[in-house]
Amino acid sequence: MIVGEQKPLEEIKELVADHERILVLGCGTCVTVCFTGGEKEVGILASSLRMATKIDGQGKVFDEQTVQRQCEWEFLDTIEEEIKEHDLILSMACGIGVQAIVERFPRARVAPAINTTFLGLPEEHGLWTERCAACGECVLHRTAGVCPIARCAKSLMNGPCGGSQDGKCEIDPEVQCAWQLIYDRLKAQGRLDQMLEIMPAKDWSTSRDGGPRRLVRQDLRID
Amino acid sequence: MNEFEPQIVAFCCHYCAYAAADLAGSLRLQYPTNLKVIRLPCTGKLDALHVLKAFEEGADGVMVAG
Repeated sequence: MIVGEQKPLEEIKELVADHERILVLGCGTCVTVCFTGGEKEVGILASSLRMATKIDGQGKVFDEQTVQRQCEWEFLDTIEEEIKEHDLILSMACGIGVQAIVERFPRARVAPAINTTFLGLPEEHGLWTERCAACGECVLHRTAGVCPIARCAKSLMNGPCGGSQDGKCEIDPEVQCAWQLIYDRLKAQGRLDQMLEIMPAKDWSTSRDGGPRRLVRQDLRID
Repeated sequence: MNEFEPQIVAFCCHYCAYAAADLAGSLRLQYPTNLKVIRLPCTGKLDALHVLKAFEEGADGVMVAG
């Protein structure tokens, strides 16, 4: 899932400072399941902002709405009137949702209430960790299902490096060495010979090095 | 300011604290009118939204009893 984290309230207060009618807009998909920008978080943020701005002597209106997905036109179209009635849309979706609103309704002013952090999973209650860097050329079949791009601090293709100590990465004792994980899992699967296969230098053109990416599926296009 | 009496919203569990408040009523015991009791099926039902809403509507304090 896409994982996000709410911005500090003080920063959000600055984002809404020059606006009077604000729509706090949640998203019912990724940011709902990571407890950052779903219907409940919309309610908490809107309530907090109503009280915070009232204490500051400002009479702002904070309305609440949540759509199933902010990153698809069909869902945004259902709240077109609400978007037009407000002078700021305070989006609690990931950066894709924020951009989707402006692309669909170019006159809308939109501000992000959350920081989109990474693509990851909930490892434990209250702990999310990164798993995928969306590099565009998956190698997980060669690394026993552990991503060296997202989980190795150096994104090494042939690790580990000298900074691997007792299974941890030198950047942080909380961070596991991805290549140690790869080694351990290959060993458990009886595939240690895989470690000896040298992976060639990665072609990063499928990642961000190739500029903004696009995907065309002719079988799905209606021309 | 000495006469300030806070408005308190009390979220009470149906099975204990609310039952106690109910019993207090049956016994004709008095408690201040600035305490507003809201019954919950269980205080486990209490959500941050309920607490925020209470403060937003003017409560000076929130009590959770269960």
